[in-house]
Amino acid sequence: MSAETPVISLSDVEVHFETGSSLNPLADNDVVRAADGIDLDIFENDVVAIVGESGSGKTTLGKTAVGLQQPTGGSVQYRGQDIWDAQKLFSKPDIPFSEIRRSLQIIHQDPESSLNPHKSVRSSLEQPLKKWHTDLGPEDREARILAMLDRVGMSPPHDYAQRYPHQLSGGETQRVALIRALLMNPDLILADEAVSALDVSLRVEMMDLMLELQDSFDTSFLFISHDLSNARYVAEHAGGRLGVMYLGELVEIGPAEEVLQNPQHPYTKVLTWATPSLEITAATEPPVREIDIPDPVNPPSGCRFHTRCPNATTYCQQRTPPLFLDEATSHQTACYRVDEDSEYWTHEPLEGATRDR
Amino acid sequence: MSNTTESVDLLESTEALEAVAEETLTKRERWALAIERSLLAPARIVWMDIRARVGLLIIFGFVAMAVVGTRVIREPTVGEGERLEPAFSSVAHPLGTDSVGRDILGQIVHASPNMLLMILAGGVFTTVMATSVGATSGYLGGRIDRLIMSVTDIVMTIPGLPLVVILAAALSPQNPLVVGVILTINAWAGLARAIRSQVLTIRESAYVEASKAMGISTPSIVRRDILPNIMPYVLINFVDAARNVIFASVGLYFIGVLPYDSVVNWGVMIDLAYQGGGLQSMAAVHWLLAPLLTITILSFGLIMFAQGTDRMFNPRVRARHTTTPADGDASSSESPGEQR
Amino acid sequence: MNTSSDLQAGTPRTAPDPILRIRDLTVRFEMDRGTSRVLDGVNLDIHRNEIIGIVGESGSGKSMLASALLDAVVKPGVTEGTITYSPPDGDDIDILDLSAEDLRQFRWEEISMVFQGALSSFNPTMAIGEHFQETLEAHGYPVGPGMDRAAELLDDLYLDPDRVLSSYPHELSGGMKQRALIALALVLDPEVLVMDEPTAALDLLMQRSIVSLLAELRDKHDLTMVFITHDLPLVTKLADRIGVLYAFEFAEIGKTETILKEPAHPYTRALLNATPNLDAPLEEMRPIAGSAPDPVNVPEGCSYRTRCPLATPDCEHEDPLLEQVTDTHRVACHHWRDAEEIPLTTEVDK
Repeated sequence: MSAETPVISLSDVEVHFETGSSLNPLADNDVVRAADGIDLDIFENDVVAIVGESGSGKTTLGKTAVGLQQPTGGSVQYRGQDIWDAQKLFSKPDIPFSEIRRSLQIIHQDPESSLNPHKSVRSSLEQPLKKWHTDLGPEDREARILAMLDRVGMSPPHDYAQRYPHQLSGGETQRVALIRALLMNPDLILADEAVSALDVSLRVEMMDLMLELQDSFDTSFLFISHDLSNARYVAEHAGGRLGVMYLGELVEIGPAEEVLQNPQHPYTKVLTWATPSLEITAATEPPVREIDIPDPVNPPSGCRFHTRCPNATTYCQQRTPPLFLDEATSHQTACYRVDEDSEYWTHEPLEGATRDR
Repeated sequence: MSNTTESVDLLESTEALEAVAEETLTKRERWALAIERSLLAPARIVWMDIRARVGLLIIFGFVAMAVVGTRVIREPTVGEGERLEPAFSSVAHPLGTDSVGRDILGQIVHASPNMLLMILAGGVFTTVMATSVGATSGYLGGRIDRLIMSVTDIVMTIPGLPLVVILAAALSPQNPLVVGVILTINAWAGLARAIRSQVLTIRESAYVEASKAMGISTPSIVRRDILPNIMPYVLINFVDAARNVIFASVGLYFIGVLPYDSVVNWGVMIDLAYQGGGLQSMAAVHWLLAPLLTITILSFGLIMFAQGTDRMFNPRVRARHTTTPADGDASSSESPGEQR
Repeated sequence: MNTSSDLQAGTPRTAPDPILRIRDLTVRFEMDRGTSRVLDGVNLDIHRNEIIGIVGESGSGKSMLASALLDAVVKPGVTEGTITYSPPDGDDIDILDLSAEDLRQFRWEEISMVFQGALSSFNPTMAIGEHFQETLEAHGYPVGPGMDRAAELLDDLYLDPDRVLSSYPHELSGGMKQRALIALALVLDPEVLVMDEPTAALDLLMQRSIVSLLAELRDKHDLTMVFITHDLPLVTKLADRIGVLYAFEFAEIGKTETILKEPAHPYTRALLNATPNLDAPLEEMRPIAGSAPDPVNVPEGCSYRTRCPLATPDCEHEDPLLEQVTDTHRVACHHWRDAEEIPLTTEVDK
């Protein structure tokens, strides 16, 4: 990785939510540990895809990275400037918060609610222009909106500009959401399951568009998905990284092709099994000891995957593995099995698990 | 549609992002455009709805009655006509007279300015208070929300009628606007809570988060993203508040808290007519019916107008009545490209 | 003796025994703009104890097919055609001809369904066990043995019966609710289970696990299953045969392996190429140009011709009917013999 300052740097980020009513200050509320101890750097023109199931904390991670979620621990820095410090009154940040805000944008999953249903496409797209490009007159804004609509393939642009969201298909809505984000020329766009609600045949189209625009506008993308195939498509095409999250922790991350060809973490291997390919293979039993994900309020001790891991030992129950880095491949894995000298190899496997390679 | 798997044209993208218009509009043209978009276009949309037209006509009728009618028709006095003259029997008293010989039409017309001002004040006060408190509280959430809602709850639980009576007795208001506000002094609290609940849901929408990400200010977000969703609800509640003002005022007049001037209130007319045997005998029924129908027609007009504005607030309703190129929904089949 | 519509429906000459015979099924809605046909003259045989996958994108009519199998198409939809059900013992029944009372009995006892978006199907004020009891009582089944069967089914689905039966819907995760729903659909021991996108809202791992569980259930309880989805890769792990729906008609029907390896319809081939998956080389994945037709305005002739690379003028004149490629493979295309001109990414060596 280059030594430049990352656009976004997450250091030991922790996001904990309290559930339950907080009217009673004495009550002991449940704490959901949505993200724990996350370190992640996103560089210029970088594409990172994060994969995880529900409850993995991937959406929380994404929103924290673009400043829409305040972490309860750790720090989020934009080009070296702590984002949340910049918002405090009377602070004199190196980079003003307004610039940070403009540089971090989001595209949501659900096309039905990503655009304000009461505003026409034109009106929705004018909003960022009015806010950030005050030098433009209405006719300039119109020209820019039409040009961008055309650029993403919505022709004739005049027709689309006056439509309302319910008159657009899911794919078209997502493209408008993409334009809206790009109009501010952001440094990082969070695509939160942005293609999951689209038909299969449209997904590749949308992902292609995002990749194309990512490249030409020099924007970084943080692509969140529960679908490994989609994440693979985006990350491999852009030569970016693929990260895997489980119950709030980043368990594996590295260059996309490397992670997929050579998954090190048992959970990643399970996800690969779970992602159906177009090959004919016999239906096999799930390679996890437990089908259901543990309650995020009470995650398992030590390595959080140990309750379901086919290779867990008693050592995994006791201590949380850190991310081990393989220098040669830039591949990081939070599992003792990648460490030849680990004490893992001397402990007994749990019931139903095996220590074999 | 461009084939997106072709190689990227960097120049094309930069051009699109930096596009500006070839001709600049003059300041005048910009103003005209702004007015067209914010005022005329919505007005046209509302006008297209038959309910809005009917509602507007009725409301206009009442306003005309209040402004013009009071000059045209004489102020009613006791004994100007026969007692309990039936309706439609003479030109001088088209709606008949009451038990002391006052012209009923005259009473209705001369009560209207006061009534309209009172309802307007009461309705506007309730709605504005409820919406601003409810929407802000719901949107901001957290401690501020809890604080505001606690205050609202206290206001809501203060017994309405005694509070109004005390205020009216203490202030002895003459101005119908003030009367209107006093009458609805704590009615806004329940509505504020209802609005807050709706806002809580809307605030979680993706587009609200997108607006936040774009750095749009909180007041802007509340105004543009949140309010339009709840406007239909707000307007219907406005109508409701307006009607309640009429009936609440009757109580006050009878307790004697409000100075009871002979011809000032439709509700009072109904009560007098009822006491004068309007329900029992045919002789006085016109006296009862006239103000009753007046209130009904006004309510109807307000409701119709509120419903008619639905189109302005809800683009889906609008589109159903106009032909649009993308209208591809079958009544119960999925539209292409979306998964349900 | 096979009639021409039998041939269309995929009945091989030495017939395995069809439990459901769908002939000329059409569902139409009369709208101001015209007649919307969300299913258009569909023919299909479903064989006893098979798992058949119906694959289609949104707007292809697949959910309508599910509803039609239980004669549950929403009003004002009109269902036409015949669906003949052959119970293991007893006479054939035309489902669309049943009286309201007979239909009520028929549903859930003979053919049962798991709906799309079913995660909100449970009444939030009732515990799961109560849902089972209610169903048993409504059909006049003895509750004791019924609840025992329910517990057994839940166990088959890797759920803890005691815990789940006494829980309220909000206390269970999405995956658990979905499995409980499948158990509920099977509690009256139906012959056929129809599932419309049963795993759409679930995590990857849970989807794949449920698919494995369904295969086990089919074997254990002697079921016939109809699995309707847009997710082609997922259903290939479960189904014996696959039918591909496009624009409210079947484009192709055949054994799973055949559909994956040697699809004969251009749409199927394009769909396979457009589906992101882990194995195919990246450069070969292509989106499908164009969009699905509007049910009121289906193109004349073959409905796929506007997006088809093999289309010729006669595709506009004649709507292709299902023709036989092999005993078990049917395709509705005039040019299926040339289908290999469209290369499949799955064939390209890595």
